[in-house]
Amino acid sequence: MDKFLNWFSEIADRWDTDAVRFTLYATIAVIIGGLFELIPPFFLAQTVVPISSVKPYNALELAGRDIYTREGCNNCHTQMIRPFKWEVDRFDPQGAYGKEGYSKGGEYVYDHPFLWGSKRTGPDLSHESQIKPSVDWHKRHLINPQATVNNSIMPPYPWLFEESATISVESIVSNMKALSKVGVPYTEEDYSKAKELLDGKLEGDALIAYLMKLGKDTANLESSIK
Amino acid sequence: MATKIEYDDSIVKGFVISAMIWGIASMLFGVIIAFQLVYPQLNLGLPYTSFGRLRPLHTNAAIFGFALSIIFATAYHTVQRLCRTRMFSDTLSRIHIILYNLTIALAAVTLPLGYSQGKEYAELEWPLDLLIVIWYVIFFINYLGTVIKREEKQMYVAIWFYIASFVTVPLLFIVNNLVIPSGLMKSYSIYSGIFDANIQWWYGHNAVAFVLTTPFLGLMYYYLPKHINLPIYSHRLSIIHFWSLIFIYIWAGPHHLLYSPIPDWLQTTGMIFSVMLWMPSWGGMLNGFLTLTQTRDKIKVDATLKMMLVAITFYGMSTFEGPLLSIRAVSAIGHNTDWIISHVHSGTLGWVGFLSASALYYLVPRLWNTKLYSESLANFHFWIGTLGILLYIVSMWASGITEGSMWRALNPDGTLMYPDWVSITEELKVFRLARAIGGSMFFIGILVMIYNFIKTISNKDSGFEPTDLRVGVRG
Repeated sequence: MDKFLNWFSEIADRWDTDAVRFTLYATIAVIIGGLFELIPPFFLAQTVVPISSVKPYNALELAGRDIYTREGCNNCHTQMIRPFKWEVDRFDPQGAYGKEGYSKGGEYVYDHPFLWGSKRTGPDLSHESQIKPSVDWHKRHLINPQATVNNSIMPPYPWLFEESATISVESIVSNMKALSKVGVPYTEEDYSKAKELLDGKLEGDALIAYLMKLGKDTANLESSIK
Repeated sequence: MATKIEYDDSIVKGFVISAMIWGIASMLFGVIIAFQLVYPQLNLGLPYTSFGRLRPLHTNAAIFGFALSIIFATAYHTVQRLCRTRMFSDTLSRIHIILYNLTIALAAVTLPLGYSQGKEYAELEWPLDLLIVIWYVIFFINYLGTVIKREEKQMYVAIWFYIASFVTVPLLFIVNNLVIPSGLMKSYSIYSGIFDANIQWWYGHNAVAFVLTTPFLGLMYYYLPKHINLPIYSHRLSIIHFWSLIFIYIWAGPHHLLYSPIPDWLQTTGMIFSVMLWMPSWGGMLNGFLTLTQTRDKIKVDATLKMMLVAITFYGMSTFEGPLLSIRAVSAIGHNTDWIISHVHSGTLGWVGFLSASALYYLVPRLWNTKLYSESLANFHFWIGTLGILLYIVSMWASGITEGSMWRALNPDGTLMYPDWVSITEELKVFRLARAIGGSMFFIGILVMIYNFIKTISNKDSGFEPTDLRVGVRG
């Protein structure tokens, strides 16, 4: 080992006289790991097992997802359930997913960007539609979290339900078209439905529609796998 | 210290001042959001002041405002001296500092307004990203141009670390920020789901590596030996740990995604490389420590040296904790908890924060050609900062392990022991309050340092006298 280190340090010691060569070698050193980890997943079929019941977000749900991103909900809520009994039990209390109720790659295929989060200050929301299916509860909770959950530390979001918090159909359709360019299979029908779906809806309604989409498409996963 | 070459120190002064401004901003917001987690009323019920929007402001201001300003200040300062030449182009330096500060100021406006790409440390929307690319290219040409026209044959180890950082950061930044715009301030990542996650944490982890670690090692390799007026302990060790560090670091990203749906082989690769990373990291720590021991008798009399000692200690600690947390079984309890916040802050407050402060204590009197206003205030900064970090990380350890344990606690019949989420949150309140107090102490230290600098600068051009810290020399 010592011989190897001597050999290496003697060679590398000669690299510090030529700035361009040094920069090139440093670039090569950092690029190898990146190539190895970033490229193959795109070409390996088993990276994501498709789940046929998972559908793209409709106009209202997408509007809600944009608000989720804007408000930075992912700073406190994760959307990734790990394969532990205690984690599955907590975030799938109805057992809708059976004992395999942890997150699968196929659930996220239309997520640009992914919103897994890295800090679970509040509960995980990946299957929220199956945990708290009440639209009314979510509305009261978003306007004043402490009114529905005593001692909650979540901030209130009353502005999402103010009359001015309307959603522009045009911008949502433009967002959907942008997403279709990166692979989300939206159709002309999806675009034309946007007006109807967003009619009279406030930002808060859209956010709740998004929460009601989370976990919905995979709620009967166990039976669909069988 | 007299020299015939006219170095451009005005650019260094500019970035020193940027660092102080963005340092105050980032830490102020850090303290605010820390208290918000205990007293949610502090969100004020307003969009612009809610946690979800202020947390990205805190992280972006800290990484891209404070840490980058320090990196640029020290890069401009060290490269001219180590190459015995003035910057390649003063005009490029001026454009760089103006566009850079414009970007950070725009970030401070757009993040509270809710413009976000939704990826951690990559929240800034695409027009700002383009602006960053422009000044980055300008800076890189200027830096490398200076190194190429150098009058010194060899490039000193500090330059290696800066170069490695400056080539890697744009790679990470561009690949992770590839988006499809759908409006002036709205875009979507071109990657979906697990691919996006994989690329994000390749970026996120290496932002820690090549923004918060390698440039600061470069900084350590210059300012530590200069400050004590003694050479680094081992040149050979610096070669070995430099190449192994930059090669291994890039692989470790997937440790952020253990037990997630990304492929198992990827998770295992990330875990193995993270554990291997421990050794090159400690190579840097040891070279720092062994350099510092040459003057250990002087540690107690010099606040700057104390800060360097504590910074290197925290570097060693957090680069041990990182590999530990990357092991699957440990990640199972630590992931998503406050333990990670503790880990990050032992690195950012301890290593980056104190090393930055020590570089500033070195630079400010020299740049403004005067004496430091008060050594005892610097000493006060050291103590309140160190105690603040300790309170911060210990309370977050306690909080993280408590929360990780409560999440997984089961009754004998297999049901969850704490099904009620808020009962867990309540348990963590006291630790999070202690964290907010610890963070405030660190912030007070920074404010005292800046007061000390303002007083120092107001007495500029009164003549700088270096303290000799070599053993056996009275000082």
